[in-house]
Amino acid sequence: MSTISLPPRCDRAAAEALLPEMIAALGAGPLAIDARACSQIGQVMLQILVSARRTGEGAVIDASPVLRDTARRLGLEAELFDDAPLVGSQGTRA
Amino acid sequence: MNAEEIQAIFFAECEESLAAAEQGLAACKEGTQDDDTVNAVFRGVHSIKGGAGAFGYIALQGYTHTFETLLSDVRDGTVPITETLIDLLLRALDTLSDHVAAARGLGETPDDAALQAEMTASMAANAGAAPPPPAAAPQPAQASAAPVVVDDDDAPELSDFDFAAMLDDITGAIGQGSADADGDKTWTVKVRPHADAMRNGSEPLLMLREIIDLGGTCATCDVTLVPPLDTIDAGIGYLGWSFALPADVNEAAVREIFDFLGDECGLAFGDDAAMPPARLAAAPAAAPVATPPAAPAAPVAVAPAATAESTPAAAHAAVPAAPPPPPAPPAMGQSIRIELGKLDKLIDAVGELVIAQAMMAQRLTGDGLAVTEELALLEGLTRDIQESAMAIRAQPIGSVFSRVPRILRELTTSTGKHVRLEVSGESTELDKTVIERLGEPLTHLIRNAVDHGIETPEARIAAGKPAEGTLKLSAEHKSGRILIRIGDDGRGIDRERVLSKAIEKGLVAPDATLSKEEIDLLIFAPGFSTAQTITNVSGRGVGMDVVRQNVKDLGGRITIESEPGSGTTFTLTLPLTLAISDGMVVNVGDQTLVVPLANVVESLRPDPREVQGLGAHRSMINVRGRFIPVLPLYEAVGASGAVERPEHGVLIVVETEGAGRAALLVDAIVDQRQVVIKSLDTHYRSVEGVAGATILGDGRVALIVDVDGLVAHSLADSGLFEAA
Repeated sequence: MSTISLPPRCDRAAAEALLPEMIAALGAGPLAIDARACSQIGQVMLQILVSARRTGEGAVIDASPVLRDTARRLGLEAELFDDAPLVGSQGTRA
Repeated sequence: MNAEEIQAIFFAECEESLAAAEQGLAACKEGTQDDDTVNAVFRGVHSIKGGAGAFGYIALQGYTHTFETLLSDVRDGTVPITETLIDLLLRALDTLSDHVAAARGLGETPDDAALQAEMTASMAANAGAAPPPPAAAPQPAQASAAPVVVDDDDAPELSDFDFAAMLDDITGAIGQGSADADGDKTWTVKVRPHADAMRNGSEPLLMLREIIDLGGTCATCDVTLVPPLDTIDAGIGYLGWSFALPADVNEAAVREIFDFLGDECGLAFGDDAAMPPARLAAAPAAAPVATPPAAPAAPVAVAPAATAESTPAAAHAAVPAAPPPPPAPPAMGQSIRIELGKLDKLIDAVGELVIAQAMMAQRLTGDGLAVTEELALLEGLTRDIQESAMAIRAQPIGSVFSRVPRILRELTTSTGKHVRLEVSGESTELDKTVIERLGEPLTHLIRNAVDHGIETPEARIAAGKPAEGTLKLSAEHKSGRILIRIGDDGRGIDRERVLSKAIEKGLVAPDATLSKEEIDLLIFAPGFSTAQTITNVSGRGVGMDVVRQNVKDLGGRITIESEPGSGTTFTLTLPLTLAISDGMVVNVGDQTLVVPLANVVESLRPDPREVQGLGAHRSMINVRGRFIPVLPLYEAVGASGAVERPEHGVLIVVETEGAGRAALLVDAIVDQRQVVIKSLDTHYRSVEGVAGATILGDGRVALIVDVDGLVAHSLADSGLFEAA
């Protein structure tokens, strides 16, 4: 299983730079994404992560607390992480 | 367009917004307190807030939020317009302009805690009378956000969003969100950022943060449109969010967040509203190359216009109580923003055209074809083009004048003198560069007028004048130049004191007899200051000599008219543009040079008896009892075959800033005309003693003499200085 590490700042430029690498890696089998260093993330990278999870054999994301937190606030925790609580963020809805 | 350019536009718009708000508040103060005026102020602050949010300037955004909320209450009539309120709003505006400067990296982030508290108190004091202000909910979150100072280093760079701060805010807001959820009803907003919302360094997640700040919680994220990785396009927004918002947050508050993006973010309001459709086909301008070969089978790619149409309709059906969004700004003349570099290139090319035309005319004259109709036509057209090109760079001087009220407010606070401002001719246009460099001398003159000119209220009443002083500021075109007048109705220049001070400082001989005008001009002498005690207003170590130097650098002159007891008026005479200057064309041996007319005092053919030798090579000339060093220009420029004795040539007496007067020795004066200035720095490199170059009608290049530099340099070398 190949691993791709994300930089601390996952802005659009980083996302565009990493995209070809991810596509190639996912073509060869399941992918591990090491996002433990990620301290900032933008929408472009966020949707690439969603897509990576749903493409081919899927991807496993090892998230930093920041990424995990952002995903939870934005209703994407269940989508991005296997160990997410089933209710996800909808549980907070009154 | 890159991120920096967009940011530059944001700051340019900030300036406009600040000016508009300033104008509106000034009108309020004058008694015009109708809805339109208050709205204009609100819009100005509101648009700064929108941009601040989009660019991640947290301190600026937090501050504008409070300011805007207060203005919104004023607009709704919850907070009555009083003298005290206008004063508070004016101070708030001054701090806002400091905030904008700080975001720009031009200063410290101001400490606004006291002012914010004052504004909040003003709202609270009036809140009892009316329903709670709709935007009150985010108040605590914003207040906590304000102290999070965005790193100054990071601030100017667009891509450097402070995500840590963003998450802090989110975490902070969540607690508040659940508090709001206490049995309260919620309503739904659906958000789908489109491609452009993510382009140019914009980050939609920051907008979502603001929704969370308002107490919103994310209900769902629609990921159904996200395609497989090999067909994903980084330029398209695939995600759509649905947020639950507390009932006390209205639709307008949410719309405001996205105001800045226009229709680049699909919005739908109400529990039953459908998620706004995605724009899956990349816009043609976006990234035509990057479009994947097999575009995902999108359900329907709705045209942008249709999206914009359908969204508000759905919204109004769902949330009927929402107030309308802020009205559009009043219609103005259509305009576009142009990068200054492009404009300068055009003006440069037009300058070349003028020269080429002159060269052709000269050549045709040489061939006996001078009087052709076509040539006259071409000449007329060339002049028209040049004038039009110059007019593009011209801007109304109002942009400089609009800063004056703030200066006066600060002066009133520090000196206790109340000053009424009368402005005229603010639509007079002059070159942008001149306008930019005019701010500093003008500020200094105004400070000077209030500090030294206008008396204290008590002294004014004793002198039979109204307690409030008057400062008149005017601008007008006059024979190809701009006249700017700064006049006060103060005590006038105390000539006796000026003269005694000048004698004390050794600036004039004790027995000298000077005319009134000459005494007035002494205040421009370097190191001259008559203030008994140095105040923090005008005594900043910058004297009036710097003002005169600034004006001179602009190719202008400054004159004084003063009447004891009734006031002083400074008149600045400035050129319309810095690209063209008046010059005296002179011959020195085999070279042709241009001496800027701004420096020239007079020219003369000396009588041999007036020239005094000094040492082996140097000489001085006696001009009406005053000895002035003679500088042979041929030495400075290395010309050959030039006139070497002053009595055989022509002397041009020039005035310099640092070294007094000097007489430049030239062979002959050829012409006096306008020259198009070409910078040596950009075309070659900076040369000492040379201010630039110009191309003469015959195609030859002539150097423009930097009189100040040349004289100072030569005199320092020779040890000669003007003898009084």
